[in-house]
Amino acid sequence: MRTLRGVAAAPGMAAAPPALLEPASASGAPHLALDAAVTEACRQLDRLGARLRDRGLPDESEILEAQALMAADPELLEAAGRRIAAGTATDDAIVAAGEEAAAVLEGLPDELLAARAADVRDVAARIARAVRGEAPPQLSRRSILVARDLTPSTTAELDQTLLAGLALEGGSPTAHAAILARALGIPAVVGIPGLLAAASGAAELLVDGNAGLVMLEPGAEDRQRLAHWETELQGRLDAERALHDRPLATADGHRVMLGANIGSPDDASPALRAGAEGVGLFRTEFVFMGRRRAPDEQTQAVAYAQVLRAFGERPVVIRLMDIGGDKPLPFVVLDPEPNPFLGVRAIRLAERDPELLSTQLRAIVRAAAEAGVPRPLIMAPMVADLADVRRVRALLDEAVAAVGAAVTPQLGIMVEVPSAIVVADQLAREVAFFSIGTNDLTQYLLAADRTNAALAGRQDPMHPAVLRSIASLVAAAKPHGVPVAVCGEMGGDPAGAVILTGLGVSELSMGPASFGAVKRALASVTLAEAQELAKRCLDAPDAATARAWVNERLAG
Amino acid sequence: MAEATITVLNRSGLHARPAATFVRTATGFGADVRLCNLSRDPGRMASAKSMLAVLGLGVGHGDEIRLEATGADADAAIDTLLALIAGGLGEGMAEATGE
Repeated sequence: MRTLRGVAAAPGMAAAPPALLEPASASGAPHLALDAAVTEACRQLDRLGARLRDRGLPDESEILEAQALMAADPELLEAAGRRIAAGTATDDAIVAAGEEAAAVLEGLPDELLAARAADVRDVAARIARAVRGEAPPQLSRRSILVARDLTPSTTAELDQTLLAGLALEGGSPTAHAAILARALGIPAVVGIPGLLAAASGAAELLVDGNAGLVMLEPGAEDRQRLAHWETELQGRLDAERALHDRPLATADGHRVMLGANIGSPDDASPALRAGAEGVGLFRTEFVFMGRRRAPDEQTQAVAYAQVLRAFGERPVVIRLMDIGGDKPLPFVVLDPEPNPFLGVRAIRLAERDPELLSTQLRAIVRAAAEAGVPRPLIMAPMVADLADVRRVRALLDEAVAAVGAAVTPQLGIMVEVPSAIVVADQLAREVAFFSIGTNDLTQYLLAADRTNAALAGRQDPMHPAVLRSIASLVAAAKPHGVPVAVCGEMGGDPAGAVILTGLGVSELSMGPASFGAVKRALASVTLAEAQELAKRCLDAPDAATARAWVNERLAG
Repeated sequence: MAEATITVLNRSGLHARPAATFVRTATGFGADVRLCNLSRDPGRMASAKSMLAVLGLGVGHGDEIRLEATGADADAAIDTLLALIAGGLGEGMAEATGE
């Protein structure tokens, strides 16, 4: 037995004989002219893209759809056509033209585009195969695929029932092949020096995508680990499936509302499919970005109404624009600021120029009227004190009057400026809800710029200062019956979700991808246990210690 | 000829998926549509209907691009492409903001 070390790229374990992809074999199909070969390649790529889409992998399928566009690229075909006219064989001509285009992309000072170069070469090779009438490479039995590198289209094309695992000599965890392997649930290890030479004579390989190891001729101990993993995996899959249709709750049935964070109308239906009970944070910046002029009331209303309609009776919290100097817009004139996160942003912009905010408020009121939502939930970001709330309230009242609709908006605030927590008892008398933005709250409370990588270790909201702030907010909100939600990343973190529930937060909103893990974590503790853990963490010396305590409990 | 200048503000610029959306839309018009990346190489124009040419401009987040179109539906092509870019090319833009 011999163990090779690489980089873990997709979790899981599997053992099977190694397979090098069979070199493309002549399929008996006739040679094709360039045009026909391009049509065939596009057809294959579209089919593979559709297959991935059917499997619930829209992002990955779009990679293949982008490749289909490359295959039919007029400039690529023109370059190949010139070579053919000069006497080059058709398959060589398309490969050379692809190489030329790939070289251009590789010459750009941009890492993401270097990956596109590989996509172009892959497309050209596919067309060349079609020209020669060759079938795509395929596995002949259940195997661990061993290769130097693998293109996404090849990965997608392989019979998934035969692909037990993936071991690559090259590649990185961010390569498409790794992303696809993760999405398809195929264990993968990449970046394994000496793999091809070592694996060529082996009868069996074990890929450990959790640890980033590949075992040649695995022994009894490895097999035992594999069996253990398979049992554990089955248990986890069963648990997540069972939880999908169940609400977010503790083991003893204490319910916490599960909201989705969304950034555009396109995010609405995936969030609903994932089981969101509502939207805890609808970011509205998308409607302002990339424009030369501010979007008018109608444009905004259409976008907001789309989301409100999609969610029907379920609550949608629309956050007012959080725009500032960190992302300058052509129609928002700002003096240069040394620190835009502490600058004139979000509702602070309205003090100087209320029209931008007023237009948005009218658009929301109008959207609510059109979508039949009588009490739309509006959230103001960057509120520091009661005067801020009253300023937004006054603009909101004007907006309701201007639109003249029978709509009663509920104004809540995003709690991220620490001063808002200090005066929370004042705010609680005048707002409909609190929603904590834990990322910004943490950076403001700990005076640690979250865009500064050197301070990344100080950005953990499990810090006792953040937890105590949340506890005091919950206490201030309670007598007034104001619900406290969390829409920052902490809510989507299993350990964070347990502690927040223990602190009395009644709604967690997060990216839908986190739903499963958060449901599982919360279902593993009772409310009393979550409360006890939270109480203990309030006295932790730092965030890392608190996190370790919670993880220890969740693992046990 | 119709023309316009706009800043590309979706997360990853005119990379794979957003570029595909852009090219697919441009291809739907009869007009000849070309663009250049003012922030990187203002002298180099590329066809908006060629995925490889668009990728080759290396348009990243925050880059300013110039669109030009000639032909019967040139105005419609420019308006549609501007709206598409303004809308984020089907890609989220707000990930890094707020909370």
